[in-house]
Amino acid sequence: MLTLTSPVETPLHRLPAGVKLAALAGYTALLFALQAPGALALAGLPVLTLIAGGGRVFAAHAGRMLRPLWPFLLVVAVWHLATGAALEGLAIGLRLVIAVAAANLVTMTTRLSDMIAVIERLAAPLTPVLPPRRLALAIALAIRFVPVLSERVTQIAAAWRARSPRRAGWRVLAPAALAALDDAEQVAEALRARGGAG
Amino acid sequence: MSRPAPPLAPDAGIRLDAAVVRLGGSVVLEAMTLHLTEARIGIVGRNGSGKSTLLRLMAGLIAPDTGRVRVDGIDPATDRKALLRRLGILFQNPDHQILFPTVEEELAFGLIQLGQGKAEALAAARQRLAQEGRAHWATAPVSTLSQGQRHWLCLISVLMMQPATILLDEPFAGLDLPTQARLARAFAALPQRLITISHDPAAVEAADRVIWIEAGRVVGDGPPGAVLPEFQAQMARWGAVDADTDLAG
Amino acid sequence: MERSLTHIALFTALIAALGLVPKIDLAAGVPITAQSLGVMLCGTVLGARRGALAVLLFLVLVAIGLPLLSGGRGGLGVFATPPVGFLIGFPVAAFVAGLVVERTTLAPLWAAMCGAVIGGIGVLYAFGIPGMAIMLDKSLTEASYLAMAYLPGDLIKVVLAGFVTQAIGAARPAALMSRA
Repeated sequence: MLTLTSPVETPLHRLPAGVKLAALAGYTALLFALQAPGALALAGLPVLTLIAGGGRVFAAHAGRMLRPLWPFLLVVAVWHLATGAALEGLAIGLRLVIAVAAANLVTMTTRLSDMIAVIERLAAPLTPVLPPRRLALAIALAIRFVPVLSERVTQIAAAWRARSPRRAGWRVLAPAALAALDDAEQVAEALRARGGAG
Repeated sequence: MSRPAPPLAPDAGIRLDAAVVRLGGSVVLEAMTLHLTEARIGIVGRNGSGKSTLLRLMAGLIAPDTGRVRVDGIDPATDRKALLRRLGILFQNPDHQILFPTVEEELAFGLIQLGQGKAEALAAARQRLAQEGRAHWATAPVSTLSQGQRHWLCLISVLMMQPATILLDEPFAGLDLPTQARLARAFAALPQRLITISHDPAAVEAADRVIWIEAGRVVGDGPPGAVLPEFQAQMARWGAVDADTDLAG
Repeated sequence: MERSLTHIALFTALIAALGLVPKIDLAAGVPITAQSLGVMLCGTVLGARRGALAVLLFLVLVAIGLPLLSGGRGGLGVFATPPVGFLIGFPVAAFVAGLVVERTTLAPLWAAMCGAVIGGIGVLYAFGIPGMAIMLDKSLTEASYLAMAYLPGDLIKVVLAGFVTQAIGAARPAALMSRA
């Protein structure tokens, strides 16, 4: 399965995932404490440096991951220009971009298996209700079945198109959900056949 | 043909004593009594004849409503842990059997279920892949495997648990001829007891014993030469009748 | 045990798969993603507990870096965007929607629509609007205006959630675990 981890190796890739996540939490809290655009820009410099330090491919990847932000930046820009509080708007926009970029940076430099290990460690206190093994199994199963169900949804849409002049649209939902329910029954049986969920 | 004979303890083999299964009020298996000890067994029947229910019953995935099922003396529905060593299943659709995103995780899972550590199990999985000349498969996503490769993966992950008996559910359905031939060759070389469930007489013609199930009962039981001709003749007669109008349930 | 686990994991995969389907354009030209409808269906089909866990598992997969949100988005960054409150509210919304279907005796169509209104709009917006207010430094009232942009699509989803849940219940009554 495709992940958002960057194939471009950076020094950040070698840091333990737990350290990066803790640093991200502290850094994000700092961003929300800062109000002045100048201070925010200054605080954003390390993130910018780390992204730029990864090279052109890495930086372009980081840039693409910021794209979903543009509607919100547009709203903030229009709003604050209209109300005449441009500096405040600039601060909000900067904070947004830097916070998202910093979080993406952690995602881009941490392997999926390391992230899963952190999740399992974070969930350790829940062991009496949720054994780590069961959590790991649930994550693996879900990842395993994303391509299977995507394929199924595509097939259902194609089967609809084959007999209808219109696109299937929301009509794929009921058969797709039924397919997931059927698969869940079969997979439960296969899991039981190999010793169960423990 | 020299195959290692299955252990001949008094409780060896799969034994059903008047096992009855009802699903949603209707009887799917009627008081079935069987003792399976042969190395190669075929179970044939039409769709809906109850043969898949029989497979589930032998595998302990369902318990009989009345009667008794024992696999080498073990109750398959309750003593799951002991059963894992005795019996494995190859499901018809590999997509329902493969539980993990990568090949090595899938292979290691069974060993972890048997009590091995994760690192040890992964190492064993890689070693097995290397033996089979597929070392490069270890971290491959299972979604990139072909249908035949997925069947192979399912077979190896069952074999790694070293069960004494393997149930094969329609093992050749939907496979192209070279894949069927490869898989059949792999099955033939196995020391395990194999129980093949199929609607296709060709899939069981090399068995030592063939059991024909119809409407939840055994209607034929014996060597393939004795059971299969009558089975095929009956299937042809039913096929010649045009209507297929009965609804289940 | 196994059934519970596989239903949760398979519905997590279903939400993800629905995010890969291109946006569904309704006649009005309002593009809606099938994905958030998938979130509602987790509740109305699997029931409160399993539904909420399926959505929670989905968020875990997104957080650890899988690009499963519609448009191929994912990673920790999405939890720093203005709609973060809606993401956090998803599991609770699915739980409440499931609870409504479990605890009422309405026909699946109406039960699921009520569940989707209460969970998918009421509860979800109770998380989404404060989230937006914090992220964009706006008052709750101002953030509510912004959130209104989501309302037309969400109202359509309420209706669809009803129809889809009904269709599933009609096709396979036993499959509607929220009513089991």
